Amino acid sequence: MTPLHLSYFMAFIISMTGFMLHRTSLISTLLCLEAMMLSLFIATSLCPIQLQTTSFMLNPMLILTFSACEASLGLSLLVASSRTHNPNNLQNLNLLQC
Amino acid sequence: MNPHANMIIMSSLILGPMITITSNHWIMAWVGLEINMLAIIPLIAKQHHPRAIEASIKYFLTQAAASSLLLFSIINNVWNTGQFDITQSTNTMSSTMMTAALTMKLGLAPFHYWLPETLQGTTTMMTLILTTWQKLAPLTLLMMINQSLNTSLLVTLSLLSMMIGGWGGLNQTQLRKIMAFSSIAHLGWMTMILTLSTKLTLLTFYTYITLTTTMLLTIKLLETNKMSTAMTSWTKSPMLNAMMMLNLMSLAGLPPLTGFMPKWLILQELTKNHMTIIATTSAILSLLSLFFYIRIAYYSTITLPPNMTNYSQQWRHKNQQKPYLPLMIITSSMLTPIMPTFMMIM
Repeated sequence: MTPLHLSYFMAFIISMTGFMLHRTSLISTLLCLEAMMLSLFIATSLCPIQLQTTSFMLNPMLILTFSACEASLGLSLLVASSRTHNPNNLQNLNLLQC
Repeated sequence: MNPHANMIIMSSLILGPMITITSNHWIMAWVGLEINMLAIIPLIAKQHHPRAIEASIKYFLTQAAASSLLLFSIINNVWNTGQFDITQSTNTMSSTMMTAALTMKLGLAPFHYWLPETLQGTTTMMTLILTTWQKLAPLTLLMMINQSLNTSLLVTLSLLSMMIGGWGGLNQTQLRKIMAFSSIAHLGWMTMILTLSTKLTLLTFYTYITLTTTMLLTIKLLETNKMSTAMTSWTKSPMLNAMMMLNLMSLAGLPPLTGFMPKWLILQELTKNHMTIIATTSAILSLLSLFFYIRIAYYSTITLPPNMTNYSQQWRHKNQQKPYLPLMIITSSMLTPIMPTFMMIM
């Protein structure tokens, strides 16, 4: 495992742990999601260094575009939930529990 | 909803799984999953109701986590092997993570908590889309990477999901939550056979789609959301209510009906591969599902008049004619004799 590999691996794992364990507000969950997608963007951009091939910029751009779409969808859900729930406490999302 | 927005959302809902199914490149498959997820969220959150918003938030968070985990395992695979081909994902760690991500997208057992809650928060037609069309793309990806999957891991996951699908449904009174748990149990049957025979997975998936579609359309027509309204639903369409019992028994997999066909073949395939204990366990675990199907059938059909009833009856509205329902009921109950043809085609 090269240092480059290790760095994006650790970035993803730490932000995934934050996504799973941080259960207070929706906005911090969305930020953790963005951190995950950004670490994956960096990993895809650095892929030609590891594989020693020519740089192909379509894949990072696709990932960046779709992560931006996902973030905007998450923010719109944040706005929608602020009308009905308290967005600063994810424990309030308990209307549908079994 | 605005008809233009509705058209765009519906077309991308159809387009997303199509891209995933037809692609050979991991990034395109991931893009298809993302398009599908982006299209379904506005449809779930269409009613401006706290429950719909909560369901869409839960769906969004699980699906986003699953797709980023999938992308992470794809990129790990690329860094280790240097190619993006779906069928060549040979790295062990990334194939295990792919299994986790795709089962999270499907709603299989350890990652199933979002499924009943999301289905409870939406309408019956969205439940139909979520339980059938949304399963297509992740299941296809699982079938495409089945060369590199771990059999014991998948068998453990599927036994667990059969167990949870049966036990979770026992305590429910809401029909859509019961359908969610039945969906978890059926997905357990599909992943059980995934590494042994993908044809049987496809056959199980087709049967599951037919049965679930018929059941949910019946629920939609009778407007029964819970057990207590199922009790009085016979006033609306008595014949359909009687047929619902056949459909439920077919979902449970009782012998002369369609739902028996995939279970029979799966048990036979498992026995051929010397997995007798697993076959026995899964056959016994399907009894748990049978219990709650029988309970729905008991409330809706078996306690019909001429018994004396002491509950208030519902209004008889004008009977809606659905020309596709008789065809679907016939398909979902009488398709077992066609099994030799299936075996020849597949």
